Amino acid sequence: MKILVCVKQVPDSGETLSIDASSGWIDYGRSTVFRMNRYDEFALEEALLIRESLPGTVVHALSVGLDRVGSTIRRALEMGADHGIHIRDGRESYVSPFSVASLIASCARTRGYDLILAGVMAEDDMACQVGQLVAALLDLPCATSVIREDFRPGGSEILVEREIEGGCRQEILLKTPAVLTIQPGINAPRYPSLSHVLRARSQPQEIIESRDLGIPEQQEIAGRLRAPDLTSQGIFLEGSSREKARALVGILHEKALLLQR
Amino acid sequence: MEKDTYIIAEYIKGSIPGETLEMVTFAGELSPKKRPTIVLLGRDIAGPAQGLAEKTGCDIIAVMGENLELYNADTYRRALLDILLPLAPTWVCLPHTAMGYDLAPGLSVGLKAACITGVEAIQGRTFTRSAYAGKFLVDISPTSTSAVLTVLPGSFRPCRDFRGPVGRVTTVERSGSSPRSWTLEIKESPHRDSALKDAEVIVSAGRGIGKKENVDLLKRLATLFPRSAVGASRSVCDLGWLDYRHQIGTTGQTVSPKLYIACGISGAIQHVSGMKGSQTIVAINTDPSASIFRVAHYCVVEDLATFIPLLIEESGDLPPAGHRPPQPGWP
Repeated sequence: MKILVCVKQVPDSGETLSIDASSGWIDYGRSTVFRMNRYDEFALEEALLIRESLPGTVVHALSVGLDRVGSTIRRALEMGADHGIHIRDGRESYVSPFSVASLIASCARTRGYDLILAGVMAEDDMACQVGQLVAALLDLPCATSVIREDFRPGGSEILVEREIEGGCRQEILLKTPAVLTIQPGINAPRYPSLSHVLRARSQPQEIIESRDLGIPEQQEIAGRLRAPDLTSQGIFLEGSSREKARALVGILHEKALLLQR
Repeated sequence: MEKDTYIIAEYIKGSIPGETLEMVTFAGELSPKKRPTIVLLGRDIAGPAQGLAEKTGCDIIAVMGENLELYNADTYRRALLDILLPLAPTWVCLPHTAMGYDLAPGLSVGLKAACITGVEAIQGRTFTRSAYAGKFLVDISPTSTSAVLTVLPGSFRPCRDFRGPVGRVTTVERSGSSPRSWTLEIKESPHRDSALKDAEVIVSAGRGIGKKENVDLLKRLATLFPRSAVGASRSVCDLGWLDYRHQIGTTGQTVSPKLYIACGISGAIQHVSGMKGSQTIVAINTDPSASIFRVAHYCVVEDLATFIPLLIEESGDLPPAGHRPPQPGWP
């Protein structure tokens, strides 16, 4: 079994991010800490669990982006991936899901993966597109929001459950090779073991320049990021912590939501 | 030339969900002069197709087949591409649901169209969507001639009943299915908590509560209210701080209690869609720009670890009506 896991690097905290006035995109200052998209951690963990249950399985981790993306690929190696692939791409601001998926598909096409995994979405763009696009570009079947998967004996079919609305699950049988996007909660992503951390430090990463794969033309353009209009209809309580607590208790009493003896 | 807009409808458990009717409103803003055409797929859908034509005034393409009863990405995509490719649509619209985001990217590749997901607002050919859990918005415009769009549920009102002429229903029989993907069944969730459905007050935890131990604080707050329950965002369940039966949101439960207290919840749309129907919403978060404050009625910028104890103290720490301890003199 040969598995490819697509991992994305995202900035660590949504709370400290600001918009760069000249580029109109996120201001990635020196203090910005980058890490692996949490949704992709579940995808990588799932691949590692499959490898544990099916001996002989090989797990590759791939990421697209600037030089700094190498640290996220190293994290994947630390968690236990066998091989890291970095598709180096110099674009800093908006890169469309289609363009990322095209690069991944172009790299994966000749490598004979039985399974391609990715997180259901990225924490930053929240597009829910790359996995499905890779599947379409490679003409493979695909299931999104996968919360459980089991290989049928022989490995040519995989039974998956995907989460849908109302807490229900859709059960799908897919022929491999296939693409799955993984729902968080399917597993508990591991912390790297010391031996893997040491190994990853010296483990070379395969570097592919995006121009060698051919960058397709983006089919959409993005404007500047902006903060949403915070004119909420809500009332911000003011004063000291205790004054706010008192005010809130008053409001809840008034609305008969909190009863006094 | 007026644009051709197509809506891919959903048909779940015998009815057309409200999200599909929201798409009619969205399509109306996208292309005001020409009504969209709705494509409905299923097994035995002549009745619902006619009902949709009457309700919306839109022309309906009803695609019927044995293999279309349950949604399957590959089977539906093949059927839709066979229908849509000759029509060369400008816009194809789907709700951003488990079907919509599953199907849209593959359709866009087949149609050689742009794909823009999670659209919340529209201005001309520019679509607004959220990024970074609602912290920022970004406007995206397709440069291709056509685009597949998914629209966030709740962003547009469901269309009102159309008073003009009834739309025309065209039926297409379709027998094929995917040779490599089969939907076997839809299972009900093992994680359901009727306590959440019945609760009048829900105190809900987000990742911002910081650590598992703070769940106890929320439970203590909940005991102030009669008929209360503790809820959680997806990420809190993923972290193992609360069980999945507490989960509220797109993949969890939808609730509409009298009072919803969101603690450390950022306000990602996946959570908000499950609780925005609550009568009174209180949000407690340290980040004043958290998007939960856009839906909250009462906004408290505080650290819940210090604020909740104060709140309990100020309430007099009274036991709730109905849960009072035995009075002195009782046997």
